Amino acid sequence: MNGPVKPDDIDAVIHERVRLSMVAALAVSPQLGFNELKSMLGLTDGNLSAHARTLEEAGYIVVDKSFRGRRPYTAMRLTAKGRRAFEHYLATLRQIVDRAERAPDGSS
Amino acid sequence: MDANEAQSRMQEIQRIMERATLFTLLPGAPAVIGGLMVLAGCGVSYAMFRSLDFADILHLSVNGQIAFCVMWFLIGLIGVLLEVLFTTRAAARQQLVPADRPMRVAAFSLTPSVVVAMVLTVKFLLPVDSMVGDTIGRFHFNIGREPKAEEIQYIVPVWMMLYGTGVYTAGLFSIRPPRILGLVFLGMGVVALLCFPQYGLVFAALSFGLLHILFGFYVLHKQRQTVV
Repeated sequence: MNGPVKPDDIDAVIHERVRLSMVAALAVSPQLGFNELKSMLGLTDGNLSAHARTLEEAGYIVVDKSFRGRRPYTAMRLTAKGRRAFEHYLATLRQIVDRAERAPDGSS
Repeated sequence: MDANEAQSRMQEIQRIMERATLFTLLPGAPAVIGGLMVLAGCGVSYAMFRSLDFADILHLSVNGQIAFCVMWFLIGLIGVLLEVLFTTRAAARQQLVPADRPMRVAAFSLTPSVVVAMVLTVKFLLPVDSMVGDTIGRFHFNIGREPKAEEIQYIVPVWMMLYGTGVYTAGLFSIRPPRILGLVFLGMGVVALLCFPQYGLVFAALSFGLLHILFGFYVLHKQRQTVV
């Protein structure tokens, strides 16, 4: 990624802060339970569900629903597509920062 | 998106990833094994001085006192080594470097409290008064003072409170369970210090023993649910 950063390079699905946090957490964990993720990111049930749905529709995460004994258990994991999108997003961020550091007046 | 926002987002991503990494590396098995060793240590201690009061170490012979201290030192040392070993193995499984920032943050959070607890233990156990001598940098040791039973009774509550503080602080960079464990240790330590200092052995068994075992099983259970 050597050219200028175009608006299309910013992935709108991941760019949203909550979804970015979810993807970042899932990037270093094989799988996280709904409650673990909720606790880790300080989210409400509704907020996490809504963002999980968006990520699932984009094909970035898989949501597994099962039962642990009698209790429902929801777990999420990052897909290969989601990991690629996250890595691309990180590369875009690095490019923006690098360019600003190289600019003589410090502007981006 | 400007450079400042990009920088801020990268820092936020790093913070979240560190938090999630600590979660996957929480040591479950060493907590259980460490807890069992503490329970065994409490059993041996009771067999040695037939009392629930740590201060009754004063009634042991010098050799008995040395054996008692060496036993607890070894239990602590083996506990730490197990923790390092299991964390390193878990990190290798997750393809992480154990010396990465999350692990260093956790270790550095716990270390000051443990060092303070060790210093206070030495101060309570050894009949040593120190004061700065006439020459700067030289210390005069007065070996004559006898250890006091009430000071030895403080050892278990002090360890509970300081260990709890360290675990709580380390938990600030991770998820909630370690923070709760730290607070429970802290609360039990306060109760032990203010209300039941003469039952040190019971509180050591309940906190460093039983609480660690329960926490270890909880972490193992959660990780079994989490890992594919």
